[in-house]
Amino acid sequence: MKTLKLLSVDPSDRGSQRCRLGPELMSALGLKLGSPLLVSVPGGSCLCIAWSRSDMAEGFLQMDLKCCSPSLIPHPPTHLHMDCDRLTPVSCPKLKTIKITVVVQSASFKKHTSSSLVHELVKDMLKGVYIHEKHVINLEDFDTEIKYVVIEGIHPDSASSGLITAKTGVEITRIQTVRHYMSQLREEHTVSLGGLDEVSASLREMLQLPLLYPGTLNSLGVSCPRGVLLVGPPGVGKTLLVRRVVGDVGASLMVVRGPEVVGSRPGESEEQLRAVFERARSAAEEGPCVLFLDELDSLCPRRTGSSSPENRLVAQLLTLMDGMDRSDRFLIIGATNRPDSLDPALRRPGRFDREVVIGAPTMQQRRSILSVLCAKMPVCPSVDMMELAQRTSGYVGADLSALCREAAMNAIRENSKGSGAQTLCMNHFQDALKLVRPSCLRSSLGRTELSPVSWEQIGGLDDVKLKLRQSIEWPMRFPEAFVRLGLSRPRGVLLFGPPGCAKTTLVRAAATSSHSSFLSVSGADLYSPYVGDSEKALAQLFRQARACAPCVLFLDEIDSLIGSRSTGQTSSGVHTRLLSVLLNEMDGVGLKTVERRGTERILQAEGVGECHTQEQMDCQEVCNKDVMVVAATNRPDCLDSALLRPGRLDHIIYVPPPDQQARLAILKVCTRSMPVDADVCLEDLVTNTELYSGADLENLCKEAALLALQTENMEARVIKYTYFLQSLRKMRPSLTAQQIHTYQTPLTS
Amino acid sequence: MSTPAVSSVHQALQKSFKNLENCQKVWKSALTECSPLLESLGNLAEQSKALSNVQLSDTPLRVFPDLEDRLRFKLLQAMDTVLGKLNDKLSSLQSVRDTISSHASGVLQLYELHADSLDLLAVTERSATTPSIADMLGWLQDAERHYRQQFLRRKAVLQMLRVDNLSLVESAPQRWKSLESASAEDCITDILCKVSFFMESELGK
Repeated sequence: MKTLKLLSVDPSDRGSQRCRLGPELMSALGLKLGSPLLVSVPGGSCLCIAWSRSDMAEGFLQMDLKCCSPSLIPHPPTHLHMDCDRLTPVSCPKLKTIKITVVVQSASFKKHTSSSLVHELVKDMLKGVYIHEKHVINLEDFDTEIKYVVIEGIHPDSASSGLITAKTGVEITRIQTVRHYMSQLREEHTVSLGGLDEVSASLREMLQLPLLYPGTLNSLGVSCPRGVLLVGPPGVGKTLLVRRVVGDVGASLMVVRGPEVVGSRPGESEEQLRAVFERARSAAEEGPCVLFLDELDSLCPRRTGSSSPENRLVAQLLTLMDGMDRSDRFLIIGATNRPDSLDPALRRPGRFDREVVIGAPTMQQRRSILSVLCAKMPVCPSVDMMELAQRTSGYVGADLSALCREAAMNAIRENSKGSGAQTLCMNHFQDALKLVRPSCLRSSLGRTELSPVSWEQIGGLDDVKLKLRQSIEWPMRFPEAFVRLGLSRPRGVLLFGPPGCAKTTLVRAAATSSHSSFLSVSGADLYSPYVGDSEKALAQLFRQARACAPCVLFLDEIDSLIGSRSTGQTSSGVHTRLLSVLLNEMDGVGLKTVERRGTERILQAEGVGECHTQEQMDCQEVCNKDVMVVAATNRPDCLDSALLRPGRLDHIIYVPPPDQQARLAILKVCTRSMPVDADVCLEDLVTNTELYSGADLENLCKEAALLALQTENMEARVIKYTYFLQSLRKMRPSLTAQQIHTYQTPLTS
Repeated sequence: MSTPAVSSVHQALQKSFKNLENCQKVWKSALTECSPLLESLGNLAEQSKALSNVQLSDTPLRVFPDLEDRLRFKLLQAMDTVLGKLNDKLSSLQSVRDTISSHASGVLQLYELHADSLDLLAVTERSATTPSIADMLGWLQDAERHYRQQFLRRKAVLQMLRVDNLSLVESAPQRWKSLESASAEDCITDILCKVSFFMESELGK
């Protein structure tokens, strides 16, 4: 079977409906000059008349898409190789009558032109054209206002295609504008959307009811909602959701981006806004229409002062929205990620009647987003979407698509080195995870790059490690067990103990082992010379942490950060205000509405009948939707007692100075990378280092190594035992027995 | 070359192309007669626009009774006359289109009549002086399409004029002129050049 190469149509053939073939192929198919021929291409088909190529070359095909399937109009086929059996000769009898829809360029033409004139013009244009049922005739080459003709039905209907002659009757069923027709066409290729089913269903219902059943609502005497406000952080898919839902409902969409409307001269912006509403109104005459105001906060900021130009724009929008009456069948959707900066007058029923909050996706939502994104990629079956969803806490839809793109790029890079098949494996995703960070943490205070630390890298302290694992790792790993025993995840953990005993390192290891997000704050991040700024920053930090839950929030040196109310002399200091913010955030009344997130409601509604893993995942979601606060201090007596009660910092863990065994373990860990001489006796060192903290021991090893370099010049190969002893003699332990004693007395006393 | 089918098609083609030559002349002359008419139409529209802009009662002309209505009537009458003349020209353009259409479809019908004796080899055979039948048929159809498009566009320009939209009438001469592109008219000349040897050679027979 020979293949044909599809070339673009010759300019002189445009509008002729010809299909240029080589003469041999024509005679092989039994075609004469001017015989109708149906060419099927991916996505549709095209009716042409066969003609020989003037250069007689075989193996090429050039066709004019005068009569083709509707789907080919937005995306004409190009650069295609096709088989000869795609071409089928068809018989085309003369038609008696046809029914058509006329698509015209502008609404004003539709309004002002008499139907008899349109009929006359269309009939002239269609004479001598071969048509196929359900096809669209492209009349753009005539260069008039009439752009397309859609074939609705033909008579006699025994044939699926036919020829229009001067005697064929033409019946125009309706006239549409190109905009409306194209938006109808586009809805057939809508983008897929994952994880927003709940929101999109409610939005769809809101759109469908008034747009499709206006009569019912009228008879009930209900005025239908006119405006919907979508609120959510950037990248969750607000714009995409609107496009999708509008496409599903079959409405036409008009998008207004805030900055596009704003003009430089006074009054210009208002005029443009009025024009937009006018356009929406005329579009709504043809069918349901949605006016989408993207980035509404830039268009309608909160009104301030008396004469700023934005005030007039806001007022214009308000009056326009009030001026919509019931006969205007269009709906306004606004989208913003900063609902608080909108003018409050906009957010009342009658203007934006409903507010739909789209939060950062939960784990289930992330999984469905990932599976939608990966549906078109050759993903290796070993890739576990569930695990990916688990590791991408805090990622929004845009981040996930960036992640998939990065993973695909990794695969391409690897492939270009010439190895392996073209599939995406788990390691590509893992590499991508390092590059693509969640965008809701991007501008966060506490975002830290932390080098992974494993539990094994910390010597001793087995009890503490176990306790930490209980409070951080277990709720993630065994959520059902927690639910079964009615346990809730601890809200907070306080680590206290003498300085240098690996409190910070312990937290780092805990963050590494649990795959949750990790935020760390110090005083430098929070303090600011402005009154109220620090509190705001802390509250913002908690909000971000909740957006990407499960999340571990680490407050190092909490005593200096927060302070205590009981000991402080100044009751109105920054410390006390910060403390009150922290107390509120840890155990407050509730969340702000803007932070609402997806699945909670579903979980309570349908608990049974789901598979086991699903249930487990749901459990984990529910148990871990809070932020875990981990604080560390070496002055526990300075903390406010309200902070230490159960429900806030539930687990108070004492990190003791290392005992003998622990010191041995620490020394082993410290000397693992050092070339230590065979005669070095670590046990001996352990007995001599009473009251030494972990940091001291690490310093000891470092000193010994430096001493070795000092005495044996740079040639030193091993560290001898004497160096250890020498440096031990120079050092003093940083802890004292009395200090340890104060730590060991109970906190409450 | 010598079969009766081929020669009959050739004769019909030759006749059609001669006709096309005539038609081109008629078309051109009709168009040249149209352009002054359109100019005057545009002028009239401009005048009536000016009339609606001016407040006659503020001018010395206020002493004339009913001046505005009378002027408007006169202008409309003049426009009607011009449009009537244009319509005549349009019908002569239409007759050109119809002639070419009938020729093109006639030759195609003749070809279809002889299609059984004319295989593709015969249809695509060509020589230095005689283009192939397929090409010539194509050219004839191209010419027909060209005239149809031109006629429709011009008709649409004239038919869509409305009294209540004077700026549309005012801009009609420009739009009319923009339809005349040199390249489009050249394609007819090109076609005639391509078949000039064919037309002369057949004459001797």
